[in-house]
Amino acid sequence: MTTDSSMPDPTAGPLTAGETPPPGDAGTADRKRLSKWRLYGRRFARNRPAVAGVVIFVLLVAFAVFGSTLAKYDHVELDFLALSDPPSPEHWFGTNNAGNDLYAMVVIGLQRSLLIAVVVATGTTVLSAVIGTAAAYFGGRVERVSLFIIHFLMVAPTFLLLAMMSNDSGGDWRVIALVLILVSWFFQARTIWTLSLSLREREFVHAARYMGVPGLRIVLRHLIPNIGSLLVVNFTLGVVGAVMAETGLSFLGFGVKLPDVSLGSLIGIGASSISSSPWMFFFPAAALTLLTVSMALVADGLRDALDPTSAAGGRA
Amino acid sequence: MVVAVTNLTYLLAWAYLDPRSNYVGRRPPLSETQITNLLEPRNLDDATPLLERWWTWFSGILFRWDWGVSPTGQSVNEQVAYRMWISAELMLGATILLTAIGIALGVYSASRQYRLGDRIAQGTSIITMNIPIVVAGLGLVLLAIAFNNAVGSTVFYVTGASSPDVSGFFPTLVDTAQHIALPTAALILVGYAQYHFLQRSLLLDTIKSDYVRMARAKGLTKQQAIRKHALRTSLIPVTTQVAFSIPGIFTGAVLTESIFAWKGMGQYFIETISKNDINGVVAVAAFGAVMTAVGAILADIAVVALDPRVRVS
Repeated sequence: MTTDSSMPDPTAGPLTAGETPPPGDAGTADRKRLSKWRLYGRRFARNRPAVAGVVIFVLLVAFAVFGSTLAKYDHVELDFLALSDPPSPEHWFGTNNAGNDLYAMVVIGLQRSLLIAVVVATGTTVLSAVIGTAAAYFGGRVERVSLFIIHFLMVAPTFLLLAMMSNDSGGDWRVIALVLILVSWFFQARTIWTLSLSLREREFVHAARYMGVPGLRIVLRHLIPNIGSLLVVNFTLGVVGAVMAETGLSFLGFGVKLPDVSLGSLIGIGASSISSSPWMFFFPAAALTLLTVSMALVADGLRDALDPTSAAGGRA
Repeated sequence: MVVAVTNLTYLLAWAYLDPRSNYVGRRPPLSETQITNLLEPRNLDDATPLLERWWTWFSGILFRWDWGVSPTGQSVNEQVAYRMWISAELMLGATILLTAIGIALGVYSASRQYRLGDRIAQGTSIITMNIPIVVAGLGLVLLAIAFNNAVGSTVFYVTGASSPDVSGFFPTLVDTAQHIALPTAALILVGYAQYHFLQRSLLLDTIKSDYVRMARAKGLTKQQAIRKHALRTSLIPVTTQVAFSIPGIFTGAVLTESIFAWKGMGQYFIETISKNDINGVVAVAAFGAVMTAVGAILADIAVVALDPRVRVS
């Protein structure tokens, strides 16, 4: 390994090189940060399935964003001359029994599912990070109250609440996303709380506290950046979880409702006519599976790349 | 905790579900008083104060173990008692099989770390783990239909838990197997991988530990050392995970049961929500909470049984 000499020690990566460089030291910190990202990039690129995952995911996002410009039909437009048609040059993915173009519906459904997943994963990660670290740092009453809420939600039948609330919302995706955040943040928050318990005893936290930095600022600028790699992995896994939860709900008919479509509701529609028109199931199912599997591969690669103790990404 | 969760669900269910709406828009239309007359004896009339409704419901459970009736008058007790066993039939078999497969694969790939077998097993597992259960289930349905067509007779049934006109011990057994094969396969396909990964990483940690190296130094083969020394320690966290997955399997089965049209607890859950059956919804929630508690207790028992360092006084 000839590149070793020009790189900082990989085991000193994410923990000592904080996200916020001390003022006046900007030059060296900048160089360090660049090499840190290069290091992560290298470790990630060495993991071929993870790179494949990124490629598939980018293609899917491109498909969701630009796919509708290629579509010949709108997803609510009905073609009465083509009812339940198999895939053809006119309707690339075929049509359903009302004459909707499945290609257009898959594009819209993928957009919807992706949007919900990203919103939910972001919300869950932010909420769990702030609550988990704040509970650990402040201790006392804050800790007791947050832990009580977390433990209560762990016993509560969250899937049932989820189904009831999103069913009641009448299929508004924003409500579904909000409810999904509410029922999925607490597991991560508990993990983060456990990790932060040891972080709060570290010297730099004590130093910041004795310098008079306010508590919330310590949480946001010193504790959360230190669990950054965990949060990144949680985010990608959160996307997978949210996609699965949302499609499950929509499949059952409790999630996104017509005329709005998501991959789950498309599969649900396809399931009812699976033996007579299997293409109605194939295309949304393929999009969904590619989405979850690619995100999982990315998460796996990120975990190896960001973990300073992992040997799976090779050396340096 | 179980009691608190159940009561909270009762109140929440009243906030989100409205049994009265079942009767609105009927032809011929029912008058307000007619609907009230239908709902009132079932303790589902929202004109009665919530506190009174709650007390009638709660005391019914407390003193008579009566979980109330659905808007159409069916007893929730009977439904749950009947459906519980259908779910158990599916779940128990699937859980045992997927745990066994996962652990076996984990041991296999841990003892061949980074060799071809390990790589292939890991690659397959990360894909199957992230196939949504809906896709897995329906994909299996398609395969089974193709297989049935190819063979020319119905080997796999894709819907229901049993055929109605089967009697005798062996025909029933065969019939059940024909029905249970597909949903079990779907549950195993998406479920085994988590135990594969868990068992693999735990076993790798223990293989590297001093006492396993010591066992090898004593002259045990690698197989013996893994089986007698490493496996037992690494099984403890896996068992805890399995026990805690009991409620998780229960919610996962919501989708499986609705795909394969099994009339189990998962399907009951969907039915109760879409039919505004408040008493049923609460019973499902209580069932889930009890399952969580049972899982926690089982986890403790398993740890005591497997881990000699934990002593029960």
